Amino acid sequence: MIKRTATGKAFIDQPDDSLVICRCEEVTKGEIRRAVYEGMMTMNEVKRYLRPGMGLCQGQSCSRKVRDIIAAELCVPREKIELSTARNPIRSVPMSVYANDKAF
Amino acid sequence: MIRYEVIIIGAGPAGLSAAIEAAARGLKVVVFDENDKPGGQLFKQIHKFFGAKEHQARERGFRIGERLLAQAVGLGVKVVLGAQVVGIFDNKQITVMIDTQMEYYVGNSIVIATGASENVISFPGWTLPGVIGAGAAQTLMNIYGLRPGSKVLMVGSGNVGVVVGYQLIQAGCQVAAVIDAAAHIGGYGVHAAKIARMGVPFYLSHTIAQAHGTDRVCGATIVEVDQAWQPVPGSEKFLDVDVICLAVGLSPMSQLARLAGCLLQDHPHKGGLVPVCDEYGETTVKDIYAAGDVAGIEEASSAMLQGRIAGNAIACRHGYISRTEFERYHAEYKTSLMQLRGGTFGHDGGEKTQPKHTAEGQPLSQTLLTKGYLDERELTVFPGIPGEAARKQGLVAVLECTQNIPCNPCQDVCPKGCIKVGDKITNLPVMVSSAHCSGCGLCVISCPGQAIFLVNETYADNFAAVSIPYELVPLPVPGSKGMACDRSGAVLAEAEVISVRKNAKSDGTALLTMKVPGQWAMLARFFKPGAALQEG
Amino acid sequence: MYRIENHPILPEFHRGKRVAFLFDGKEYEGFEGEPIAIALRDNGVMVHHYTAKRAEPRGIFCAIGRCNDCVMIVDGAPNIRTCVTPLQAGMKVETQYGTSNEGVTGRQ
Repeated sequence: MIKRTATGKAFIDQPDDSLVICRCEEVTKGEIRRAVYEGMMTMNEVKRYLRPGMGLCQGQSCSRKVRDIIAAELCVPREKIELSTARNPIRSVPMSVYANDKAF
Repeated sequence: MIRYEVIIIGAGPAGLSAAIEAAARGLKVVVFDENDKPGGQLFKQIHKFFGAKEHQARERGFRIGERLLAQAVGLGVKVVLGAQVVGIFDNKQITVMIDTQMEYYVGNSIVIATGASENVISFPGWTLPGVIGAGAAQTLMNIYGLRPGSKVLMVGSGNVGVVVGYQLIQAGCQVAAVIDAAAHIGGYGVHAAKIARMGVPFYLSHTIAQAHGTDRVCGATIVEVDQAWQPVPGSEKFLDVDVICLAVGLSPMSQLARLAGCLLQDHPHKGGLVPVCDEYGETTVKDIYAAGDVAGIEEASSAMLQGRIAGNAIACRHGYISRTEFERYHAEYKTSLMQLRGGTFGHDGGEKTQPKHTAEGQPLSQTLLTKGYLDERELTVFPGIPGEAARKQGLVAVLECTQNIPCNPCQDVCPKGCIKVGDKITNLPVMVSSAHCSGCGLCVISCPGQAIFLVNETYADNFAAVSIPYELVPLPVPGSKGMACDRSGAVLAEAEVISVRKNAKSDGTALLTMKVPGQWAMLARFFKPGAALQEG
Repeated sequence: MYRIENHPILPEFHRGKRVAFLFDGKEYEGFEGEPIAIALRDNGVMVHHYTAKRAEPRGIFCAIGRCNDCVMIVDGAPNIRTCVTPLQAGMKVETQYGTSNEGVTGRQ
């Protein structure tokens, strides 16, 4: 668990902050960095705050990068950042499939 | 709820191999795959695989896929396609979405063989249409017969980057460049050499600065990076391309393993977060196994063996084979897997550092690592390169195999026993004796690295004959003229095609023999048809 | 114009019969059973949808149904992954804007 420490320092913009990281939900690097600055220090928190990984692809292409950005922002190795909780269903499922469900 | 003795998730090389192994011992097996076609990425692999005979070396990936599938189906394995496993619950229950229905299955054992997903990098313009994954390029070309575009920039020089670069050229695209942020080419030197001699430049220590275009890619700017990965001002280069292909690594698709409660660990040399497995591939959750790329990124040949190891272990656990029989198979598969994991690029578990020498002690070619081709002056130290004396005697095979890659088809196919790799398949091939070489060319067309050439310096006065492997269309006809190119793709001189041989055994690879001026015998390694001699 | 007719390694590609379909109201042709995205690419169509927030163009990216960048409106249903959805004769394929076909660009 990463300790929450208020650094008291100002948020510093980076030249590539406008890069889209999560393609589905169109979340930028700057937004993720700012979320960490504002106290979201886990993948779960950043995900709920900004929705990276909650789009159609379910984080398949961005989770690795979101993890790296959070780790870099907190100055910790990426291994220290736990992935967001794995949940059923791991792929996007149309609601009609659940509505069709024979088991219920 | 339908029960199977073994549920396998993923019909790629690992999943199908696990299925075959378990079904052959009599277990009831089902394989689910989300794709409409089985085989995972195997059917997109149109190059010949490395390894030894038992790894199905020198076979093209798609043929291995066809065989695995036929074997599995023949053994009564049920392969369900278009089936997305979306959930995994306690007691090894899974939910599978098939068409518009959710279905429920439970297994006595589960093998997670979900493979890998492609990594991406972000740069301005990276979401533009025309920026695609290397896997997407393969799917378009090799499954659907569609070129992804005309001119391609390949980002990443690992095996995926260089192999797909070659496939793009085979499909009729131009590859403008291969770039990599690292200072060295990441893939096998022999794969890089195939495209280098067709004139593809490698820009190492380079990254992509921007994809240009408003609604599609219409160019790319690349830039050199320094040792701290920072762009070097003024080093920008514009490349006129319409496709930017990303081949920047793979990550194990381990979500299902996490969902199942398996312990996962970060392993940088395995590609990321992978389930912790014992030597049989069993995760920390009893009766749930992981095999193939999901357990660590490797080649398909290794994935097949991991699948076999898991299938064998499951058969023993459920009493379908005796302990002794199980141990015998396990030892065999394990040895075979360890062979593949040896050598310069091996996954032996240790920290990887860039080696400076081959296992035999020769200095590794630096031009191969930075430019993608061997410099003639570096060649002489390698045991597969015949010296001047041998070449004066007549026709010789030149084995330009200079890294310890687990592979030995050259030794296998030579009917005269001229080539020796030895028991350790990562050894460099040695030219035992050129005296018996009949010039059959089997080694040339079999070498998965296309690193073997026949050179006859005594072909005619002032002319040499050089035979090369050739896999492009249209196939030149004997008598046609073209250009002999060196290992970097630079034009050396006019050349004439003497003969073109192709048969069922060569599986698409032609043996093209060209006549070149004698002084270029050890330099000419590619034939470019047509086109008059160009300046420079 | 992007079809590979002669490949040095692969045998002939098995293609279905040529069928017509509609893309944004105009008639195009492709091979039945191949992914919609393949038929579109061959016809030079690369933009499949415009994103909801930034109204940016997207097209084929992973080509195996994972990234969802190639989603379009197919026969009225949005978010259809065109890289894994087989083409059928007479299909109505539309550029997707956010999640609609109304050409509205961007939330921002």
